Amino acid sequence: MRLYEYEGKQLFSQAKIPVPEGRLAASPQEVFDCVAEMDQPVAVKSQVLTGGRGKAGGIRLADGANEARTEAEELFKLKIKGFPVERVLIEPKLAIKQEYYIGVTIDRANYKLVVIASGEGGVDIEETAAKTPEKIVRKAFSINEPLYMFDAMGIARKIGIPHPLLKDGAGIIVRLYNLFKKYDAKLVEINPLVLTAEDKLIAADSRVSLDDDAVFRHAELKELGIEKRHEEGEMTPREQQATEWGIPYLDLSGNIGMFPGGAGFGIMGNDFIHYYGGAPANFMDSGGGPSPERIAKMLVLLDENPNVKAIFGARFGGISRCDDFAKGVIMFLKDHGLSKPMVMRMTGNMWQEGVRLFEEAKAESPELFEHIEFHGIETEIEEISKRAVELASEGGR
Amino acid sequence: MAILVDKNSKVLVQGITGGAGSFHAERMIAYGTNIVGGVTPGKGGQMVCDRPVFDTVEECIEKTGADVSVIFLPAHFVKEAAIEAIRAGIRFLVVIPEHIPIHDMLHVREEAVKHGTTVIGGNTAGIITPGEANLGIMPDIAFQPGRVGTVSRSGSITYYVADTLTRTGYGQTTCVGLGGDPVLGSTFAEILLKFEDDPKTKAVVMCGEIGGVYEEKATEAISKMKTPVLAMVGGVFAPPGKRMGHAGAIVEGKMGTAKEKLEMLASSGAHACKTFRDIPETLKKLGV
Repeated sequence: MRLYEYEGKQLFSQAKIPVPEGRLAASPQEVFDCVAEMDQPVAVKSQVLTGGRGKAGGIRLADGANEARTEAEELFKLKIKGFPVERVLIEPKLAIKQEYYIGVTIDRANYKLVVIASGEGGVDIEETAAKTPEKIVRKAFSINEPLYMFDAMGIARKIGIPHPLLKDGAGIIVRLYNLFKKYDAKLVEINPLVLTAEDKLIAADSRVSLDDDAVFRHAELKELGIEKRHEEGEMTPREQQATEWGIPYLDLSGNIGMFPGGAGFGIMGNDFIHYYGGAPANFMDSGGGPSPERIAKMLVLLDENPNVKAIFGARFGGISRCDDFAKGVIMFLKDHGLSKPMVMRMTGNMWQEGVRLFEEAKAESPELFEHIEFHGIETEIEEISKRAVELASEGGR
Repeated sequence: MAILVDKNSKVLVQGITGGAGSFHAERMIAYGTNIVGGVTPGKGGQMVCDRPVFDTVEECIEKTGADVSVIFLPAHFVKEAAIEAIRAGIRFLVVIPEHIPIHDMLHVREEAVKHGTTVIGGNTAGIITPGEANLGIMPDIAFQPGRVGTVSRSGSITYYVADTLTRTGYGQTTCVGLGGDPVLGSTFAEILLKFEDDPKTKAVVMCGEIGGVYEEKATEAISKMKTPVLAMVGGVFAPPGKRMGHAGAIVEGKMGTAKEKLEMLASSGAHACKTFRDIPETLKKLGV
């Protein structure tokens, strides 16, 4: 879960990492009012859940309230990588002497926490890392190891924080590391950490990403108004619908509706369709052990998508059992009905029960099944993929 | 021979009194897996699936000699349960649940390395040595004893690969589900090297996917191995930078694309396969 800059700075501030005194505004008029009160040159910063904000013109400087309002009018019209600007953070403009970079993240391959720091902060930190790796300081820690003050002093010294501020800089590094651990973060960054003309260190920006799977144990975030949010930029109406139903779903540009079991084959099944000359209309993941209701909703999404010419169904039941799968498909056929040709294969745990349910429903109302070509383990999944491509190119029946 | 589990493994189920735990314990027993007991704190003394339930892993080991554990518990209980099992002396641990907090898995990994325990998962379908032991949620129908090992991030891909190996007569020595979560108990490299040491495994199929970091790390192991490795990577046509389900499947910069992973694996000596059908064809060419 990615936090907005101002939310990250709330956490920084709580952890006693110095940040500029900022104010949040949601309209040009609010910007005007804030700046009029602050009565000093300011930075007006778009609050969006994506990087590249500065390069997209999402940060403006203004000397007074009128100028800030004019800039804000433009900011609120901006879309940065698909994210509309709904709020801006207004902060006093900093007089910058030097910019540093400090980040903490997880090196998953080596199972370590890594502190990364550099004496050259700013937007081009990745370029710095690629071109002049010697300017980047890296230090790895085990999760159950503290980062001691002497560790931090070493890092602060290596990135060139001047002596009188060495201890302040080291303190910021220790607090950032502790904050990373406290909130189950995946990434925390101060970029840049600014050395001001007044010789103070201050976190001019924040980047905080928390582990979605651990948010449940941080009730204190809710008290700060930080809740789970959507982080993908603009969604299509169908993606929005799927999100409301809790189904991971993406619209793609092809015409074959993908109705897979599990994310693994959800991803690889899309490749198979391409290999056989077709193109998927979507990516979808049923999640582990989906309920029949969820299965039915997955089919509704595909059947109501006008781009979908044929549906490719694949279920290899593991934790997602075939009987629940069959129940969901039957529920969909009865309550909604299938208007497109569908080829599907079902096998795995409880497949006998799944087949029995299908046969029972089919005996009762054969018309519901007229668009379905059903296969079991005897047919290879490659044949099913090929058939789906054929059905789609026939353009439906 | 096989890797990690066989018919002599004494298996306990942590969370055996829960819905998923008891359902799958029954399936595992029906397959012939040597399930010796279960652990649920506070429920010691009960019987589930005709097996004794204990309050602690330590007691379960004392009374049954268990050396392997499978965890069926809600994600937020996994850290403690896993560390309990590792410290009590479990040799091999299978973590079935998904969405385990990343920091928790880092703690589990630290303990595992310290005690020499092998952990797979979270978000794994488990592990099966066909005809001997089935730990987790894998459907029996796909598997048959044989001579090819598999290791995969995804459960469903494991089933398709095994099904292909079964229908073409190769069968499997052991199939390992590495897991789909972002931080995993074991890496591809570690599991591949175990297959390398198993004389009965004549080839290994590894299936990775877009995102994550463990495929890249496998190249060093592959280049050292005598046993041939076949590699598939899902997500070649996935739109870059988009989240595709599995918590782990987030493209991580340039490293994470399926195409690059596949190229990297191939350049270290793995035989790249596009569809499951390519697997028996490649095995035939290799004379496996």
